[in-house]
Amino acid sequence: MNVMGIIFANDATMGDLTSKRTMASLPFGGRYRQIDFHLSNMAAAGIRHLGIISRHNYQSLMNHIGDAEEWGLELGEGGLEFLTPYAMSTTDRYRGKLENLFSAMDFLEYGSEDEDEYVVMADSAILSNLDLTKIIASHIESGKDITVVTKSGIANGKKLLDLALKLDQDGEIADMAVNYAAPEEYLASMDTFVMSKQWLKKQIKECVARDKYHMDRDLVMGLWQRGLATVNVYQFEGVAMFNESVEEYFRNSLSLLDKKIRHDLFGRNHPVYTKVRDRVPSYYGEDCEIENCLVADGCFLEGEAEDSILFRQVTICEGAEVENCVIMNDAVIGKDAKLEYVILDKNVTVSPGAVLIGTKDRPIIIQRGGRV
Amino acid sequence: MYFQKKRCIAMLLAGGQGSRLKVLTEKTAKPAVPFGGKYRIIDFPLSNCVNSGIDTVGILTQYQPLELNEYIGNGQPWGLNKTHSCAQVLPPYERHDKKSGWYKGTANAIYQNIDFIDRYNPEYVVILSGDHIYKMDYAAMVAFHEKNAASCTIAVRNVPLAEASRFGILNTNPDGSIYEFEEKPKHPKSTNASMGIYVFNWAVLREALIADEEDPNSSNDFGKNIIPRLLNAGHKMMAYAFDGYWKDVGTIDSLWEANMELLGKNPEFNIRGDERHKICARNSALPSSFIDEDAKIFNAFVAEGCEVYGTVRHSVISVGCTIGEDALVEDSVVMPGVVIEPGAIVRHAILGENSRVCRNAVVGGAYGENEKKKISVTSKGAVVPENTVLSPGEML
Repeated sequence: MNVMGIIFANDATMGDLTSKRTMASLPFGGRYRQIDFHLSNMAAAGIRHLGIISRHNYQSLMNHIGDAEEWGLELGEGGLEFLTPYAMSTTDRYRGKLENLFSAMDFLEYGSEDEDEYVVMADSAILSNLDLTKIIASHIESGKDITVVTKSGIANGKKLLDLALKLDQDGEIADMAVNYAAPEEYLASMDTFVMSKQWLKKQIKECVARDKYHMDRDLVMGLWQRGLATVNVYQFEGVAMFNESVEEYFRNSLSLLDKKIRHDLFGRNHPVYTKVRDRVPSYYGEDCEIENCLVADGCFLEGEAEDSILFRQVTICEGAEVENCVIMNDAVIGKDAKLEYVILDKNVTVSPGAVLIGTKDRPIIIQRGGRV
Repeated sequence: MYFQKKRCIAMLLAGGQGSRLKVLTEKTAKPAVPFGGKYRIIDFPLSNCVNSGIDTVGILTQYQPLELNEYIGNGQPWGLNKTHSCAQVLPPYERHDKKSGWYKGTANAIYQNIDFIDRYNPEYVVILSGDHIYKMDYAAMVAFHEKNAASCTIAVRNVPLAEASRFGILNTNPDGSIYEFEEKPKHPKSTNASMGIYVFNWAVLREALIADEEDPNSSNDFGKNIIPRLLNAGHKMMAYAFDGYWKDVGTIDSLWEANMELLGKNPEFNIRGDERHKICARNSALPSSFIDEDAKIFNAFVAEGCEVYGTVRHSVISVGCTIGEDALVEDSVVMPGVVIEPGAIVRHAILGENSRVCRNAVVGGAYGENEKKKISVTSKGAVVPENTVLSPGEML
């Protein structure tokens, strides 16, 4: 059985954090970019033919992926390909995923008709350690047209879900809604789908021909409502992080300090791969106080940090205090500076004695390369 | 098949047993012994090669090669897997004329791989050993060799006179040319110790290797045979002075010391910073390390994938280790994948890969600053059972 993968890199929704990068290349969890979770999931399921659909700001993403060797993938036709609008001039409209896919039809059509029987699609903003092999098996066993991977406990009546599903007592789908602040009993789609390639290709053409471009609304919900598609709901039991807003990103980042969540997301039997930076191990100074933190390689720690995520090569000078922060690569936090509820993007320098205090719901964000 | 001609290639001697590392090299070749939290010893010469612009490295293996071969793989971590670069593992092999078999000595190992070197038709061959920790720009040494129009250049470092009789000593003229080589002299005339790093003109070395192989009394060793042979034949040989950090980590004590010398704000050997001399290693796909709220870490290296709940002082903790609640690790080298269970105490020890110190067990002892320390060692996968003691200097 051959399976191809598609990862949507875009839909930047995090203001300053994604002004110069895609959601896919947003750093997460100390040493990863969000796309690492998807690339690792796909590679672990033996998916080698993989397209990354990206519209804007994909330079940092291409830098990160390099030759894709870290994930055991290869660049090129039949391997990993970047599907960017400039590389595919079949259409100039990219209002939604279906139009993106339509312009990537060459990619979908690569190989013989039966080369890739199934397509797995994933979205960069939602992170999990998914066993795609199981999900593909469930799709095949169900005999349905679409498999949607879902997560319970995400719907809270406030969060707008891209796609929400409600099951009846028999486990049949009772309702589907798009862009909906669904009540708690709804399942949230993890924006991960499995379909047969032939079926998907046909539906993309049908939809786009009728000026329909929205994957969740027009393809999944629309076809299901009209009785034109059957939908298999796969309920994922593990940890799923919906990093769709700064608030969620911040909360999910700090939740990695919980052992159960961390071990679930970085499963030992199913590692998450990322680009290697060859930093030295982190050095903890004579008088540092590091408590309840996740610390990546190459840090130089002489001050205090508590309840925080420290990415690679972070320097915390003597007397500095960092609490409830997400500190990305190469930050230097000067002597006696004090940071609380702050997200420092890459390469930020905080001057000695500076004080930055945000709140849990509204962390202060300092953009890449910034100086405080 | 055609090979791009190379000005200079390197041959890395990685086949020695390293018996003075005792239990640590029972199942592992010395160059594959973990070092500095995330490295293996061989990462240093390999990274030095790459940082010096040498992109073709033959690695001679013999003793316990599995782990080493696997570690080197296709050379990708060091960028040695490109079209015109390679990290080629060269184990002993059998050939038609019976001039083969186990590598009899360092020179014989190179002799048996003359064909490999010939493919690249190099001007110079750098001979390295896989058991030293240092950062060095071999390109500068090759340039020195070329400028002096030497046949062979040997890197030397100044050692205290009292220790000179433990080394191969090179006696030089004022211009740096070597007139005499003495292996472990009782009464050393100088303090220029050979570091076992050689640059040869390939044509000269090739000839010397063939001649040496035909001498039944030779032990086919670079220091003992090849160098004296070239000196006697009147070749121009130069000493290249190196004054950076360099450590032979061939013994338990020196391996422990070299790890400790990485620590401190201004360490004796600084592996931090300096992008041009970055040491690369094969990476394990482990997440960041978790430091618990009750953990205390002072003056220590902690690599990735660790979970620290206890206290760590003046130690090197490698990738993927767990240090349990109320455990204490002091003045120790903890190799990858070690588990130290709650309440255990580890002092002045080297814990081998994947070994385990169970609850409330005690490994090693404490010492005053100038006291002679005895390092306790656990071998790969060893288990120190609950409530037991592994005494200072004891090995398991």
